[in-house]
Amino acid sequence: MTTQLQRQGSATAVQGTGYMGDQGSPRLQRVPSSRSNHNAPQFNWSPASTAQEDAGQEAAVPPKDLRGLPIPMALKRAISQVQQMQVPVLSSFQSWKRSKAKSLSRGRKSIRGFLNYIKLWRKSLNQIGGNFGDGVQSYFLFLRFLVVLNFLSFMLIAGFVLIPSIVFRSVASDPVNMTGPAECRQYDHNPAALVKFYSYFLDFLSGTGFMEYTYLFYGYYNNTMVAGSDFSYNIPLAYLFTAVFYFAFCLICITAHMGTAVRVAVATGGGATGSYSRIVFTGWDYGCLGDRSTKLKQKNLHYQLQVDLEEDRIKNEAASLTLGQKIFLYSSRIVLSLVAFGLIIAAFFAIYQATIFSQSKIDEIGVLGLIYEYLPSIVITAGNFVVPVLCDQIALLERYNPSITVIVALLRSVFLRMVSLGVLLFTLWSQITCFQGVSGKCKLCHYNYESYPCWETRVGQEMYKLTLFDLLITIAMLVLVEFPRRIVVDSSSSKLAQMVGRQEFVVPANVLGLVYGQTVVWTGALFCPLLPLINTLKFVIVFYCKKITLFSNCRPAAKTFRSTKSKVFFLLVLLFGWSLALVALIYSIAQIHPSMSCGPFRSLSSMWTIIPDSFYGLSQTSQGFLFYIGSQRFSIPLVLFFSVVMCYFIALASVYGTSVNLLKAQLKLEARDKQFLVKQIEALSRTLGVAR
Amino acid sequence: MGNKQTTFTDEQFEAYQDCTFFTRKEILRLHGRYRELAPHLVPLDYTNNPDIKLPLTLLVSMPELKENPFRDRIVQTFSEDGQGNLSFNDFVDMFSALCESSSRELKTRYAFKIYDFNRDNFICKEDMEKTINKLTKGELTPEEVTLVCDKAIEEADLDGDSKLSFADFENMISKAPDFLSTFHVRI
Repeated sequence: MTTQLQRQGSATAVQGTGYMGDQGSPRLQRVPSSRSNHNAPQFNWSPASTAQEDAGQEAAVPPKDLRGLPIPMALKRAISQVQQMQVPVLSSFQSWKRSKAKSLSRGRKSIRGFLNYIKLWRKSLNQIGGNFGDGVQSYFLFLRFLVVLNFLSFMLIAGFVLIPSIVFRSVASDPVNMTGPAECRQYDHNPAALVKFYSYFLDFLSGTGFMEYTYLFYGYYNNTMVAGSDFSYNIPLAYLFTAVFYFAFCLICITAHMGTAVRVAVATGGGATGSYSRIVFTGWDYGCLGDRSTKLKQKNLHYQLQVDLEEDRIKNEAASLTLGQKIFLYSSRIVLSLVAFGLIIAAFFAIYQATIFSQSKIDEIGVLGLIYEYLPSIVITAGNFVVPVLCDQIALLERYNPSITVIVALLRSVFLRMVSLGVLLFTLWSQITCFQGVSGKCKLCHYNYESYPCWETRVGQEMYKLTLFDLLITIAMLVLVEFPRRIVVDSSSSKLAQMVGRQEFVVPANVLGLVYGQTVVWTGALFCPLLPLINTLKFVIVFYCKKITLFSNCRPAAKTFRSTKSKVFFLLVLLFGWSLALVALIYSIAQIHPSMSCGPFRSLSSMWTIIPDSFYGLSQTSQGFLFYIGSQRFSIPLVLFFSVVMCYFIALASVYGTSVNLLKAQLKLEARDKQFLVKQIEALSRTLGVAR
Repeated sequence: MGNKQTTFTDEQFEAYQDCTFFTRKEILRLHGRYRELAPHLVPLDYTNNPDIKLPLTLLVSMPELKENPFRDRIVQTFSEDGQGNLSFNDFVDMFSALCESSSRELKTRYAFKIYDFNRDNFICKEDMEKTINKLTKGELTPEEVTLVCDKAIEEADLDGDSKLSFADFENMISKAPDFLSTFHVRI
């Protein structure tokens, strides 16, 4: 087992020193037999000799990472003192490198300390993790990540779009004159003079009225292009670039966040093998606090072990199904999948009809008007409640493995939520562009100017309403469903109440809610630039609401939720939502004609054309440079280079995989050799003993 | 930092930061926690490295360890004399090894030591049975305990000596994705 010693870094090990008492420190046990010497760590006190051994390494051994050594603190401090005292002979360049490395590590330590100090909600998260386990904590960690992401995006948008707009508007530069049919340029955004007092509240909820012509929506921004002597700022260009960069920034953040989780998931492989030993040694969560959760943890382990024993039994049974039973099972699975699919399609149709109805009743006032406005949101939310419950029941009937059942139900929910948003967007688009027809209402201005004088604001309002409605539903559920349920279950002693019991915190459904909310924000950010700020506030409120409901109304789950694989899954679903929003963004930028009556792009035929227009305003050298980058002479070698790099990494990964398998096989062979030799020794000693 | 009385010198802070995964603030917080276990024994001023050890009974009363079925083994593993008496250095070491940023290799090593009840550098059948009994607090019948024990050793044992050496244990842990998150005490 020499690989293990080599793995410990450049030969760091500690031999048992003489300060131990009779019993011997458990950490520094000197095992009498040399056979198991590899179990006790060894330390070489003279790094100078090892430096001479490592011919290929640098002349001076860098200070070892003491934190990772499994030895007592007093020894570690002694080692660090010895290391500091040993001043090896270095060239001036290497001593400069050493001092730079030391100051860098000190800087990193102080940054780490500072980041730990300002980490948002650290104590709450610790409390949640201790009482409810890692699965629930992963939901709140995901929520915190989204809050920070939205806040940073808002900073981006504020810096490049909002603040310049405010500055230039107050400076009162005139918007650029434009051509086009006069009918298309009509946009009456001033609210009526005499309004009832409650209409302000209704307007706040639906984004119309006094809220429509504000910085909140696309329609308020002007297409000012300030060109001073040494300073120029092109608002439309900034708007477009900010939107694109916002998407790129979110992608980078998500991928970076996924990095560590994916590495752990890949390194530990399937994790399906060795479930008994895994449960016994890694089942107990050392961080769990509280008496109630401990008892539940023990019950949980007992339950897991029994479930595994049960699954083994079921597997043996399933292998012995007759052909007829198998055919019946598979055909029933197909039928049930079709039923689930049909349910989802029915939900989409309902959303489509609701959206068309709501758009046609846009002129209603009062509370009825508000309900008509919110009709798409209501139908989407109702669908998101009803259809997953039905799909869960259907999945149970299909009689898959327990783990596959969870995955199938989850995938169906994801599909439902994301594509329902897509259906809403498609309906809106079909209304705005008359199915991309050039006849009828859309002929004059390339969009339906009668119903939608400023269609971007209308789309922004829809997304705003979706976000707000999501928040209202969360709070309403908390107040009207979860608290009463707890009160009823705690106070009544009927059998029905005990059977229903306190609710559990279901992590996947809640995470899907977050992903849905974030996808809505991404879709709407182009049309409602302040939406990331609203979303930040919304997610902060959701955090506190969910925390309150967790501690007051929920019981710890009987089945734990695996957090490592699920983190990758959450981020993948978030990426899926991001790609949907990206499709919507690209289509809006490239294809649809911007409104001629409002917004920064009112004089253009599509939002994209601002880029070529301002491109030709650049200096000759910049133009030449950018042409070169876009030309084939540059881009094809670049693509080739990146493909080569990717092939290199793939080859490296496959080589590592093969070598891991080879080493595992070698380990097994060596073990068998050892057993064989031990048996030989026993046989020999027996014959020798007999002979004597 | 405005403290009226310094607890540690800067040199000690540097040494602690080099040897553990904690920042300055966390080390001071740990000192506060150590002190509140026995305020009359533990001085506020640690600049001259007083040699004070707290007994096992005080340490397992901490809320972070109180509910853990392996609390005695954890404290014994990190103590110098093997009886569970921890000095402040050992205390910090223990929480550093069990903290979130600690490395996988370090945690695996200490986990092996904790589960090795008879300290022979192998997890044998008796160690396994004790572990399972502590985990499920007697909810499983003895036959089920033996069954789970046999199955677990069968899965993890690579060299066929029907007990787990450190290499077997490490190999099994490397395939468990949750190990880092469950073997983690929040303080």
